[in-house]
Amino acid sequence: MALSAAYVSREAATNLWRNRLMTAAAVLTVAVSLALVGSALLLKQGASKATHLWQNGVQTIVWVQPAAGPAQTDAIQAQLRQSPYVKVCDYKSQAYDYNEAKIVLPPDELAATAQEQYPASFRCVLNDPSQAPAVYQAFHGKPGVFDVKYPGQAIKTMQGVIRVLQWVFLTVAVVLLLSASVLILNTIRMAIFARRREVSVMKLVGATNWFIRLPFMAEGLVQGLLGAGVAVLVVLALYWGIGLNQTNAAASTNNIITQMSLSGWEVFGTCLLVSIVGVGVGVIGSAFAVRRFLDV
Amino acid sequence: MITFQNVTKTYKGSTVALKDCSVEIDKGEFVFLVGPSGSGKTTFIRLLLREESPDSGRIWEAGKEIGNLPKWRIPYLRRNIGCVFQDFRLLPNKTVFENVAFALEVIGRPKHVIASQVPQVLDLVGLTKKRNNLPGELSGGEQQRVAVARAFVNRPLILLADEPTGNLDPTTSLGIMRLLDRINRTGTTVIIATHDAGMVNQMRRRVIELDRGILIRDQAHGVYDLDGETQAAGAGSPTGALVEQFPTAAPEGEVSGTGATPNASDPNVSDQTMARP
Repeated sequence: MALSAAYVSREAATNLWRNRLMTAAAVLTVAVSLALVGSALLLKQGASKATHLWQNGVQTIVWVQPAAGPAQTDAIQAQLRQSPYVKVCDYKSQAYDYNEAKIVLPPDELAATAQEQYPASFRCVLNDPSQAPAVYQAFHGKPGVFDVKYPGQAIKTMQGVIRVLQWVFLTVAVVLLLSASVLILNTIRMAIFARRREVSVMKLVGATNWFIRLPFMAEGLVQGLLGAGVAVLVVLALYWGIGLNQTNAAASTNNIITQMSLSGWEVFGTCLLVSIVGVGVGVIGSAFAVRRFLDV
Repeated sequence: MITFQNVTKTYKGSTVALKDCSVEIDKGEFVFLVGPSGSGKTTFIRLLLREESPDSGRIWEAGKEIGNLPKWRIPYLRRNIGCVFQDFRLLPNKTVFENVAFALEVIGRPKHVIASQVPQVLDLVGLTKKRNNLPGELSGGEQQRVAVARAFVNRPLILLADEPTGNLDPTTSLGIMRLLDRINRTGTTVIIATHDAGMVNQMRRRVIELDRGILIRDQAHGVYDLDGETQAAGAGSPTGALVEQFPTAAPEGEVSGTGATPNASDPNVSDQTMARP
């Protein structure tokens, strides 16, 4: 049977135009929800990228007892070098720490201390920042080690906040997508109702089920696709508008936007996903309408 | 062509629409299906269209059993069956030509087939001049002709008509019957469910009578009801001779005049039945 693409698209276009007000409502709802999905995805990718940078930026610090001699300091350094978790360590002398203290502490407190009381330190960058507790376990209480510090709690809190935000975004997006598919379903239902005479004649003269269904499903698909198109424009506007496309000199700067910057491929992937979800919503909505209201 | 074997169909609420109905209709026959409202005529038609399936019994149509036909095959079955209804069922926003062409379009016939078939069938039903009119601009009889053209354009093996003249005056009804007769002469099996006693009595074709779902009469060259037959038999063979030549001859006024006689007899019949108790 010749079920031509020309026939399906002509019928779908006629339907869309006849029902243009409902079509506009459905397309806009799809657009709003998909724009939210798209920007959520964009922000999520940016946030995870920034988190990665922050984690890499933080150091695990092994403080050396102020009273420890050079032999003990060398032993600690050797052990740090052998540790599988540690990427690189930077030795800071007592003098360095004293100079740091000079900047931070008020003069009267500084006067009560001497340079010999300040600990020297190894500022270490780990292969995987999340393994900081293991380094703590390995070095805390070792001879000559004064203390091991790592900013684990702060990162954990930050990751928790990001995770919650992602779930909120996702939930809102899913609810909006559901309402969008219901709206598409309703639009298709009205189109079916408007054409029920034609449909009954088609059934009577022996048009196949798919011949009757496909124009309606194509209509839903087009609505989803149009909505996705608008959403993609919003996502791209966001990408260029707030400067997420800046080059990745992120680590050196403190600008959170540049830290969250994304490559073109990541944005392309997001747009592709948004389009696929849009098509899916349109097809699912119209498929339900066709199953439920088109008794063929 | 069509075989019913002990077919029973019951609707919800245990309304019996057809009970143990067995009948055989050959290729090229012209059959009237008569009986009061609710006797199962429409169910008979719907079973043939496979809009319903029987509760028990078997139905063959064009050599195939259709009782348990899978759903996706039903459209292909219907391409061999034309159907005409009392309410025409034309699409009001399409012209006469488009309405007929629609039947070919939706089964995927190519454009050149449509371009040759549709004018042909419009010529057959005598509506060539009105091909660009909308159904709303036509009379009832003309609309029914369009419906017949649409049913016949794909050259079906079987043409079903459910009260085709129910909305039409006797003269117009005669025109439609003539048209269906002409289609029958091309070899198409024609089955007409009707209340139009005058038409049945004039045509003297095979009559199948149903009453509350039971086949109570199957008569070659039959009449609308047996009470009426005594009167028709009184007319004897001359009526039969008239009917034989009726499709080609017989000016319309004359034939509808004879058609009025059995019609007029109906009130008498019901008077008698009312007088009996």
